[in-house]
Amino acid sequence: MATASSSSPSSSGVPERRGIPAAAFVEDVQTYLSQLGLDVNSALAFLQERLQQYRLVEMKLLAQQRELQAKIPDIEKCLDVVATLLAKKGAGEALIADFEVSEGIFSRACIEDTDSVCLWLGANVMLEYPCEEATTLLQSNLENARASLEVLVADLQFLRDQVTVTQVTIARVYNWDVHQRRTRQVAAPMDS
Amino acid sequence: MQQGGGSETEVTWEDQQNINKFGRLNNRLHELEDEIKIAKETNENLEDSSNELILTDEEVVRFQIGEVFAHVPKEEVEGRIELMKEANGKNLEKLEQEKDSIVAQMADLKKILYGKFKDSINLEED
Repeated sequence: MATASSSSPSSSGVPERRGIPAAAFVEDVQTYLSQLGLDVNSALAFLQERLQQYRLVEMKLLAQQRELQAKIPDIEKCLDVVATLLAKKGAGEALIADFEVSEGIFSRACIEDTDSVCLWLGANVMLEYPCEEATTLLQSNLENARASLEVLVADLQFLRDQVTVTQVTIARVYNWDVHQRRTRQVAAPMDS
Repeated sequence: MQQGGGSETEVTWEDQQNINKFGRLNNRLHELEDEIKIAKETNENLEDSSNELILTDEEVVRFQIGEVFAHVPKEEVEGRIELMKEANGKNLEKLEQEKDSIVAQMADLKKILYGKFKDSINLEED
């Protein structure tokens, strides 16, 4: 792991975040290369590899994000239904609903006044809850999902920052090398 | 690689942070554009459905709640759709405002970064 260049002042502050190592910001390419003890090509290879690793993590996080973003509307729909049932309570009349039995096939259900609902908890487990408790449970699930999403988004932002820093470092190392070669080329003919 | 690649414009930590910020804003801008598109579509759908409601002469409408279509009296559906339209409208407005603010911030950052790096940096959408 490359050590952070000692001259970098209070950097973004975090050396790593949830297992994602921060990309060290390079103040001076020359110092950076001598600290690493690598020549330009090895340094570039190292940075490219880092970039690949970041990309892998990014894909993983994006997949998790999509999952959460699908889960949240689902929970909200459940909350809607429970709220509707609660509202209907005491009205005396049953709720008639058409639901999908299979693709394209619907059936009619007559839902009497009820005090409880069954919630699907996953893993082939379904529990019966009184309506209010169900609302509370769903509400807390929703909040957890939203909080996880927030943390995930922050992780992604951090990760993308590191990717940007690494890309800029790669460009600078490359440019520095080009500059060095040019200076050497200019110096060489003068030596004859 | 750009010919300006031989230049020795040093990249400071502040520059790096500006570049990072630009990247973040750009990502957020794309997300926002998608969200705005969805919100506009939802708007249209709500408009269509309230128009359909006016045209229909049925007293009971099948209104989607969750995964099922509940039989709901027409007036209640009209009320619900109005609420949904309002909420969606507010959401759309909020998104548009965020987008405008981001576009402005990105324009500022572009000025700063192009000012320092000129040709050595490319901030355009490819």
